[in-house]
Amino acid sequence: MTPIYKLLFSILFCCSLSSFGQNYKISGQVTDDQNEPILGANVIILDENRGTVSDENGNFSITLPQGEYNLKISYLGFKEITETINLNKNLVLNFQLEPKSEDLEEVVISSSVEKINIRDTEMSVSKLDASSVKKIPVVFGEPDVIRSLLQLPGISNGGEGTSGFNVRGGAADQNLLLIDDAIIYESSHLFGFFSIFNPDAVDYLKLYKGGIPASFGGRVSSVLDIRQKTGNTQMLKGEGGIGVISSKLSLEGPIQKDKSSFLVSGRGTYAHLFLKLTDNNNSAYFYDINTKFNFKLDEKNKISFSGYYGRDLINIDDSFSNIFGNAFGVLNWKHRFNENLNSDLNLSFSRYGYELELPDVGFNFKNSISNFKINYDLKHNINESLDFDYGINSIRFTINPGELIPTSEVSSFNPRTLSNKYAYDNSAYFSVNHSLSEKINLQYGLRINAFSRMQDESIDIYENNNPLLYDENRDIYVEATPVESISGNNSKIDKTYFNLEPRLGISYIFNDNTSVKASYNRMVQNLHLLSNTSSPTPFDVWTPSGKYVKPQQLNQFALGFFKDFEDSPYTLESEFFYKTIDNRIDYIDGANLIANDAIERVILNGESRAYGWEIYFKKNTGKFTGWISYTLSRSEQRTPGRTPQEIGINNGDWYLNPYDKTHDLSIVGSYELNESWSFNANFNLQTGRPVNFPVGQFEYQDLNVPIFEGRNLNRLPTFHRLDISATYVPKNQTKSWESSWNFGIYNVYNRRNAASLNFEQNETTGQNEAVRFSIFGIVPSVSYNFKF
Amino acid sequence: MKRFYIYIILIFSFTACEDVVEVDLEDAEPRLVVDAAIKWEKDTEGNEQYIYLSNSRGFYDDEINNVSGAEVQIENSNGDVFQFEETEAGTYKTSTFEPEIGMEYRLEISLENKTYTATETLTPVPPIEFIVQNNEGGFFGDNIEIEILFVDPEAEENFYLFTYKDPNFAYPDFDIFDDGFTNGNQISTSYSDEDLEVGDRVNIQMLGISESYYNFLNILLDQVGSSGGPFATQPATVRGNIENASNPDELIFGYFSLSEMNEREFIIQEEEEE
Repeated sequence: MTPIYKLLFSILFCCSLSSFGQNYKISGQVTDDQNEPILGANVIILDENRGTVSDENGNFSITLPQGEYNLKISYLGFKEITETINLNKNLVLNFQLEPKSEDLEEVVISSSVEKINIRDTEMSVSKLDASSVKKIPVVFGEPDVIRSLLQLPGISNGGEGTSGFNVRGGAADQNLLLIDDAIIYESSHLFGFFSIFNPDAVDYLKLYKGGIPASFGGRVSSVLDIRQKTGNTQMLKGEGGIGVISSKLSLEGPIQKDKSSFLVSGRGTYAHLFLKLTDNNNSAYFYDINTKFNFKLDEKNKISFSGYYGRDLINIDDSFSNIFGNAFGVLNWKHRFNENLNSDLNLSFSRYGYELELPDVGFNFKNSISNFKINYDLKHNINESLDFDYGINSIRFTINPGELIPTSEVSSFNPRTLSNKYAYDNSAYFSVNHSLSEKINLQYGLRINAFSRMQDESIDIYENNNPLLYDENRDIYVEATPVESISGNNSKIDKTYFNLEPRLGISYIFNDNTSVKASYNRMVQNLHLLSNTSSPTPFDVWTPSGKYVKPQQLNQFALGFFKDFEDSPYTLESEFFYKTIDNRIDYIDGANLIANDAIERVILNGESRAYGWEIYFKKNTGKFTGWISYTLSRSEQRTPGRTPQEIGINNGDWYLNPYDKTHDLSIVGSYELNESWSFNANFNLQTGRPVNFPVGQFEYQDLNVPIFEGRNLNRLPTFHRLDISATYVPKNQTKSWESSWNFGIYNVYNRRNAASLNFEQNETTGQNEAVRFSIFGIVPSVSYNFKF
Repeated sequence: MKRFYIYIILIFSFTACEDVVEVDLEDAEPRLVVDAAIKWEKDTEGNEQYIYLSNSRGFYDDEINNVSGAEVQIENSNGDVFQFEETEAGTYKTSTFEPEIGMEYRLEISLENKTYTATETLTPVPPIEFIVQNNEGGFFGDNIEIEILFVDPEAEENFYLFTYKDPNFAYPDFDIFDDGFTNGNQISTSYSDEDLEVGDRVNIQMLGISESYYNFLNILLDQVGSSGGPFATQPATVRGNIENASNPDELIFGYFSLSEMNEREFIIQEEEEE
């Protein structure tokens, strides 16, 4: 048989080249000494040069012809197991690995989870586990998930003191944030000073920047898939930390030994308490609580419950109070039908609420978004070269865009409730991982989405169905006045959008250490965050697609090169991407988005695009580990007029997105000097954020009014910063109390990076001037961490 | 919003700071600026009115570029014409203006063979009920504050402009709002400044304005002190209502507005014992 026939044969029969004789399957689970599943353990068939890797449930399976084999199960940081088996029937084998040494454990697990997979089609994915997050120095010494992600290629944010993050030139609201499959709506505490993800409760996280599998949908830029830790089923353990402005504590342990466990983790900041000491009644703080309960019913059934509740509280002299945050609960049932078929059923509820109260003026304002979600996913392992995943997903969204309540008799305000918005999002998908040959792996899938926006209680009818008029004489957009308002019915569909989202990934393997990969994905987004500021704010409101707001649609192509340098700890990844997004909302000048019941009167549909090149060079093991990540990219949008007479936004020209960064370089290094001391450093160098400089001024009613032409044509000065930290583990550690000290210096050389440049009149002299605002100078920190 | 944001940052970062920096800026071509805000103070004749013409200039240029030699007039819909005379460079004055609520007026400026026009209606304003002083103003509730109370007419949608001239500031403070959330109620609005002292005179103007003037001011005030900060909106071109009849594409800055006005001089009093 010539090779070409062999290849065709194997494609046709979906089976591997070597499987001509009688085949049997070996399957099972790899766990650690505490019965926790290990993700990414190697199962290698010695002498055959073949193998597989365990999935997130620790499961693996491999099909081989009848015969005798030597099996090696290994995972960095654990003692490997070698076993000889005689394969003459299907076998189920479970392996429990013992850690090599206590104190190396944390460091080494990370490099394994995060290690690149040469063979798989998976690309454009950034992975981190909790221990890596904890190594990267941050301001105030509080480890932070999002700040760590920012050190990886293709991921950036609007600058210091801004919330959210941007992936490959996408907006912050285009990231799907999931914790244990529950949807999160806001990723930041306190305007971006902290992210809501408590590193002590996080097991690992994956950020999909491209090549997103068909099982995910709903946002067009990225998917951040965070998994919470499962509590220890063997013994009660705890960990915590005491820092300058925040502290945290986690407890985990068995409910019933070997069967069930719990994890509870809480954090809070207390900087405001220092203000209280100085007789200052203002406060700004947050807290959050994560929980996970886990029950192993039998070998085939596992049930878990995950929960989160977090709130930011800002109170200024009792005249201004502001409370907001996320909450969610997830019930998960994992069922194993047989070694080839696993199912995952998820029920979740999630809510983000915002509340503002101004007691002096008798004003209380609330808005919220919440959803019920059910998803059922099946993983079907058909044979060694074919995995078939499929599932369904249904979400009900409820959006309360605003409710104004007068809180006192003398309040000037009238009560007002904007009507709730309801929508249903239903999808079904399949996704196939298909190994065509030793050289070629394919992943393909399709997601079908139906999004139904329900009618509002009151529906405005506009002349010619046009809610936004254009004044040709003055070249400005003007809100239309509805000709009538009719009453609607929440249970009737107003508008449904159907979308097909094909996904495709291919990898070509040159050898065990080198591969190229390519991917294409189309995705749609039916929830839009209404925000006309450079960075989103906590009181921004979401709106569903509907009659006037169309679904955003993404097309993304990516091409990558992956290299694992043989017999050395280095890996190299490099990718190109190009993406376009249709129907990106843009806002007319002066649009008011707060408590606006008629958003259609202030928006236009535009488009955006982004492209770039990423490179990621990493040293994975050894005393010195770290990486260099560099991104060259461009991200821009435009909103042309709807007719040739209209000027659109910014004259219909392309303009840079406020988070565009041409160059973005991160260098992260970590050095383990000895058992007591380790050192970490990171350095960032980025093109300054796009901003606007005035091109003149005019005088009107004794005011100097700056004149701006175009959008985002100028930039803030180049941003750069170096942070360092040292961790000291005292010598007298005991099993029952391990502790460490962390000393950090953020912005070592005290660079005054501009967060903004304001062009304004001096209050006293009346002279025009440019005022630079910078947030962080040099910030030292110290924290004490413990485990018991 | 900006102050709120900075405040949050200050709680968490003892190192935040502001400083003045030199930035090289480009200068755009000068354009005509028409500052034509007709204000009719209640219970006065309102026949003395001013219009100012200038050219836009570089952001760092201190000297105003006055525009002289223009012919300026306002005509009402009855055909009465009010001529403006140039009293000093760029300042045009009339003493014959006849204000009338709801009357439509047309501004016409002839300059270097070009004609600029705009049309607007004189917008009324309800009277001020009373003005009181308290000491609970500002973000921290410990500044001197002036509170102005008035009753919003329920029958229509109203738009308001308040300006405050405070001896501690080089330029006036502008405050605009609509009655969307407060229609038909007694409304209180306030002004405070941490430097206010006993004896300071604050000039208060309260004007009724049209919806389109409100929209213009809304965008204009967004540009003033426009921060490139993360929670700032994108800057915009401030397009007014003045047109070049023969070249509609010419952008002219400024606005022709007509408002009824309440004006008060408020003198900061000694703190009263409670």
